[in-house]
Order: sequence, then C-alpha cells, then structure tokens
Amino acid sequence: MNKGDPKELWEYMLTQVELSISPANFNTWFRNSFIVKIEDGVLFVGVPSQFFKDWYLKKFHTLLLKIVRDVSYEFRNIEYLIVKDENRKAPKEVKNTRGALELPLEDFYINKSDNLNPRYTFETFVIGSFNNLAYAAAHAALERPGITYNPLFIYGDTGRGKTHLIQAIGNQYKKQYQGRKVFYLTSEKFVVDYTDSVQAGTANRFKDKYRQYDLLIMDDVQFLSKKEKTQEELFHLFNALYDTNKQIIFSSDRPPSAIPDIAERLKGRLASGMAVDIGEPDPESRMAIVRKKAASHGVLLSNEVIEYVATSMNGSIRELEGMVNSIICQAQVKGLAPDIAEVRQSLRSFSRPQKNISVKNVVDKVAEFYGIDEESIYEKTRRREVVRPRQIIMYILREDFHISYPTIGTKLGGRDHTTVIHSCEKIKREMLVDSDLLQEIQNIRTLLV
Amino acid sequence: MIISIEKKKFSEAVHTVARFAERKSATLPALSSILIIAGDEGIKMRATNLETGIDLKIEGVCITKGVVAIPATILQQIAGSFTQEGKITIEHTGDTISIISGNSKSSIKTIPYEDFPSIPFPENPKNRIVLPGVLLRSLFTSIASCASSSTVRPELASIYLSIEGGVMTAVATDSFRLAEKKIPLTNKGTQGKFLIPAKNALDIAQALPDNDIIMSFDEHQCAFVGDMGMVVSRLTNAVYPDYRQIIPKESIVEAVVLRKDFESALKRTTIFSDSFQKVRMSFDPKKNTFSLFARNADVGESVEALNAQITGSALELSFNHRYLSAVLALTSSESLSLVAAGIGRPLIIKGVGDTSLLYLVSPMNQ
Repeated sequence: MNKGDPKELWEYMLTQVELSISPANFNTWFRNSFIVKIEDGVLFVGVPSQFFKDWYLKKFHTLLLKIVRDVSYEFRNIEYLIVKDENRKAPKEVKNTRGALELPLEDFYINKSDNLNPRYTFETFVIGSFNNLAYAAAHAALERPGITYNPLFIYGDTGRGKTHLIQAIGNQYKKQYQGRKVFYLTSEKFVVDYTDSVQAGTANRFKDKYRQYDLLIMDDVQFLSKKEKTQEELFHLFNALYDTNKQIIFSSDRPPSAIPDIAERLKGRLASGMAVDIGEPDPESRMAIVRKKAASHGVLLSNEVIEYVATSMNGSIRELEGMVNSIICQAQVKGLAPDIAEVRQSLRSFSRPQKNISVKNVVDKVAEFYGIDEESIYEKTRRREVVRPRQIIMYILREDFHISYPTIGTKLGGRDHTTVIHSCEKIKREMLVDSDLLQEIQNIRTLLV
Repeated sequence: MIISIEKKKFSEAVHTVARFAERKSATLPALSSILIIAGDEGIKMRATNLETGIDLKIEGVCITKGVVAIPATILQQIAGSFTQEGKITIEHTGDTISIISGNSKSSIKTIPYEDFPSIPFPENPKNRIVLPGVLLRSLFTSIASCASSSTVRPELASIYLSIEGGVMTAVATDSFRLAEKKIPLTNKGTQGKFLIPAKNALDIAQALPDNDIIMSFDEHQCAFVGDMGMVVSRLTNAVYPDYRQIIPKESIVEAVVLRKDFESALKRTTIFSDSFQKVRMSFDPKKNTFSLFARNADVGESVEALNAQITGSALELSFNHRYLSAVLALTSSESLSLVAAGIGRPLIIKGVGDTSLLYLVSPMNQ
C-alpha cells in the first residue's frame, strides 16, 4: 500500500474499521466519507455533515487514529471537514416535459470566493479592431502577471465590454494559475467595504483581506472620485500589491488623467502601467457580436437580420445585446428564427424613443414656441405670424410622425390636402437655404421628444 | 428508569419526534428509534436521521433516571391508540420497557442506545436571531412547496434564508416559479445567509412552538432552540443563484383582481386544462377584463372573464395552472396584482397591500 495516496490509505483504513464495528454502523457512518488531503502528517477526513463530524470525534476518533498510527508514525492527527460529496449526486436530471420555460437561473451563478461571473470568458469575447489592443494587453498581462503591464488600466465608454474583458482575465487567470487567488470587485464595493470596516473598527482586517490576492480586479474606479480616505487606502493597497509583483487591473469610463477629484499620487499610479482604451465598435464587429450572442443561445439569424440589428442603432454593446435578447426570446416563443420584417417590427421600441404624440400636442408645443394662440392655428386666418407656424406643424406631422396629408388637413381646421403638400414642400425647400428655420425646427423637435 | 406522563402529552411528543426518525429500516436501528432520557433536566425525547435532529422536553414525573431507545414506529402506533385521558407509566427493566396505562400493559423490546448519535449544535454559532416560532413555521410551510423536489441541484431543493437589516428573506424556487417572502425581525444587528433543505424545513416547522425561539447557524448547521427543546438541521453547502436578476424590472401590463374571483375562476378553468396543465391568461385593458381559458380535446373548453383593473397593453400568456394556484397559499390579501413583462417573460404576482410576498412564475411556450 502507498501510504501517501489518500484513496489507498482510506480503503485500507475502512477494511480495518469494518472488522471492529457492526455492519449497520459501518454502512451508516463510513459510506460517504473519504480522505480529502494529507498535510504535514495530519489526515483530513471529509464527512457529509455536522452529525457525522460530531460522531466521528466522539466515537471513531481513537479507533481511526490507532489504525493510521499502525500504518505509520508520521501521521500525527486526524481532522474532520464537512465537504460536499460530488459522488452522491443523483444520476440524471428529469427532462422538462411540462412545456414551461425555465427561469434562467443558470446565467446568474457567481462564484462567491472571487466574485467572478463564469459567463464572462475569452471564448465569448468578440475581438475587433476597436478592442484589439486591449485584448492583446490582457493576454500579455496573463502571460507574465505582475510584470509586463502592472497595473493594466482599461477604459472606454459604457457598454464597450470592459467588464467582460477584465472578468475574462480573472477567469482565465484562475484556469491558468490554479491555487492563486483572484478577486473582482467594483470600486463602489471597495468604498462600502472600507467604510464598514472603519465603522466596525476592523480596518486592519480590511487591509489584510485585500493584500492576500494575487490578482486584484477593480471595476469602475472613476467612482472613487472625492472619496479621499478610500483613495488613500487604495493607494496603500496598490503599493503593497505592486511591490510584491501582484497583478492589478482597473477599469474606468475615462483615462486616468481625466478622472476628476482623485489624488495626484493615485492618478500617477493608475497610469503607471499600461492604459489602453476600447473604442467604438465598427459595424463588422457589431455584426460579429450579434451573431455570436445569438449562436450562444442556439438561434441562427439570417445575414439580413444581423446586419439590420447591428446597424439600426449605434451605441453600447449592452443595448445591442438587449436587442438580440428580445429577438432570441421571440424565436424561442415562436419556435423559429424571425425574419427581417418581424425584427424590424419588434425592434422599433429600441430605435428611438418614439412617443405617441397627438396632433394637438404638436400644435400646443409649436404655438407655445412661437408665442401665438393655439386656436389661431385652426382658424382660417392668413396672418403672417400664424401661417409660418402652421406650415411648420404640417411639416413636422408629415416628416416625423408619418401622418397622411388628408388627415393633417382635416385635423388642422379642415384644409385641403394639397394645401398641406404645398406647405411641406415649401418648408423643405426653405430649410435648405434658411439656417435659422432649420435651427428653429430642431429646437421644436427636442421639445417633442 | 421509571417515568409517568400524561397520555395526551406523550402522544403529542411521540408524534412530533417520530417525524425526525429515519424511516428506512436498512440503516442503523438506533436511527429509526426514539431515545427517551430521564435525568436531572427532566424527561426528553430525541430522534435523528442524520439530516435533522430533535431534542424535545416533555412534562412528566421522573421517578428514577435512565436512558432507553425504542423503535419509533411501534411507539407511534401505541401513542395513536390512546383514547381516554389519564397517565401512563413507563418502566425500563433489562432489555424491555413496559408501558402501563390503567389496566393494560405492553412490553416492548428496546434497542441498544449506545449507537444513538449526538444531536450537534452549530460549532460556531456566531449568528443568532430571536423570532416567534409561529412566524417561522408559517414561512416554512408556505414556501417549502415552491422548492424543487429533485435532489439533482441541492441548492434548488433548499430554502434560501438571508438576514439583513432587520429583515429575513426566504426564497424557494424549482426553476419554473420562485417565491420570495420577507418577515421583519426585532433584532437588527445580525446578518447572514444560509440554505436549509426544504424537506428538513417542513419537518422542523411541525416541531416549532408558537412563542419565541432562538435560531442560530454557522456554515454547516442550524439550530432552533425554544422552551420546547432544540431542533437542528444540516445546511446545504452550495451557492444560491442570484435570483434577483431574473425579476423583470419593467412591465407592460398589470391586472388587479379579487382573490376570491381568481381562485374560483382558476379552479373551474383547471378542469379543462390539457395534459400539460396549460391555462391561458389574457389581459384586456379596453374592456377591463382579465380572463382565463383552457381547452382539453377530450373534455371541452372553458372561458372565465373577471372584472379587473388593467393598466397597460393587451397580452396573452400561458401557464401551468399548478404554479398559479400555488400563490393562493402564500398570501392572504383580498386582491392580487399580476404584472407581466411581455411574451416569454416571467409574470410577477403580489398580494395588494402585502409587501412581504413576491411570486414569479415562468410562462409556457405558446
């Protein structure tokens, strides 16, 4: 027998235990236990619950110790740990036959010891020209953590994938360097943690807690502005980690030098390693993101749909994902991928916040803008100060709200549709030459949104 | 050992304690028995199945001290057969005990009590909360049915309890629906969270008294101590999913209906549901009606339209009716509010005026 091998040793011990206690006792107490590890002559036995731990200590401790001492004197003691036993898992999950959709709980498992969300990995990260540099820097930092780029500072506007990238670094680091400690937190959490510890008078424990990590990832450091004491704490923490060559990663929505109200010495340190930005994703990358996101949910979208989704709105990737999610949801409900017409229909809510505005509402706003009585718009007057606003109303109703010419005519005091057409054309023509008018119409539009 | 106990007290105690004994006979005999201890601290009954354990105090007269273990099923049958008022005397001699009541006397063979395990208290009970037992009992009994009955995912077969800021939040889900209930606590200092297996919680609920108890817990074990004695359970060692993220934050339509209307309509519609137990729900803001519809090819179909206050846009969703009726046991509000976030999104049900409950149910594929 190899006494260094926990499995063999435990099997030998079991045969010995079986001889000294009743079969019922043996089956009850020993079936689900095993040796977790052997360290410095101490045997760690894993048991399923507190019931077992107490009873082992009370009844079997001397027996086990005697058996293990007979094997070798190098074993000094036995300790008992309560552990999850993976072997006890039931074989197969029952298939969901009830036709109900499951609540998507799987997506939200977060590892408590390092705060990392396992969903964020490099496999799901789309690389394009906009984030190529940041991605390369992340990889370089993973190659030689703490040395190449320390600290790594990633910045970019909201929804560009900063959190995804830095969490992916954490997840990859965990995989590559097993046994080393990673911790992810937002700067807001850091502030709360610090104030809590000061309040509880455990500031020293707070210091120790953060100094033990081999990789510390802090998200959204711009929120540290004006929190002077926390900044000072971060400054000391930074020095402690930096001096021991521990990798530090920050993210922010702006470069270090542009973060307001932050101590100069901290600002300098944030910028001292590598600061890279993630720019706006180009259309091709956006298409790749849409495709990848949809594929990860098992939905295949046509190229036409992908292009439409990727180009219909510029803005953050987060909003893009929101659109894709709504398409996926539709696909799941209907059982097939939606075509371009359906997508256009369903994404209308995403593409510009369009309120249903009544004609009266527009009339009110424009009349107010020009300081005239709204009643006069509906009247058959041709006073110059009324005619122009009336034409503008017609133009806006037609251009922005796609109301038909005849309807506009009837709503505005029973005018002929040709009058409306004429007015719209006139405004359109004049806008090209009259920049004041253009400005006025722009201002009115902002009032209507 | 000689003790004397009121019949009624004895029956109640045996009934409570027997739930904690191991029901499978294949294991250690001591686990399927009840341990009776007569000592300086009075008379106690113990049972454990290594998941949960109980140590119950009983009123009675202890004439001479002693310890004895008796098969739980036998004791249960005897306790169930008592009809008249009066006292019984239990005498232990050799390897049998005699239960004497009036003119009758039964002798039962005992089980070696040396094998009976100890009931472990949390090793490091740094977290303690005092709360009324009746509150915890109703919490456990109402919410436990929403936990998963399969043991494949132990965290979903558990009730998640989190204590923060003077509020205890209990959550149970089987991934088709989710129930969250909050109860206020008197001492605000304690914080913590743990997962207790739903099956154990149900057993424990039966043993809790109405008055205040102390709940204490550490990483692996929890205990409930009151004047009745102590109940303990192992805790689930797993991470609970961050369920808050699946609660829809926006809504497109809300219906407020009278509970009794909803209850009776659901009951009738259920008769016509198909093998998938499907019931269709429609919100009609124009007519201000909320209707339930079910069709079974073999039975027929039924529509129930309820007067309701609807705000938002029209919507139709289908649900498993069992998940809808489950909410009725969770709140006693006179009216219910149903908030939908769209097709394929979970529906939120709350009691109007009852902020303690949040019930989330996932729709079926159309």
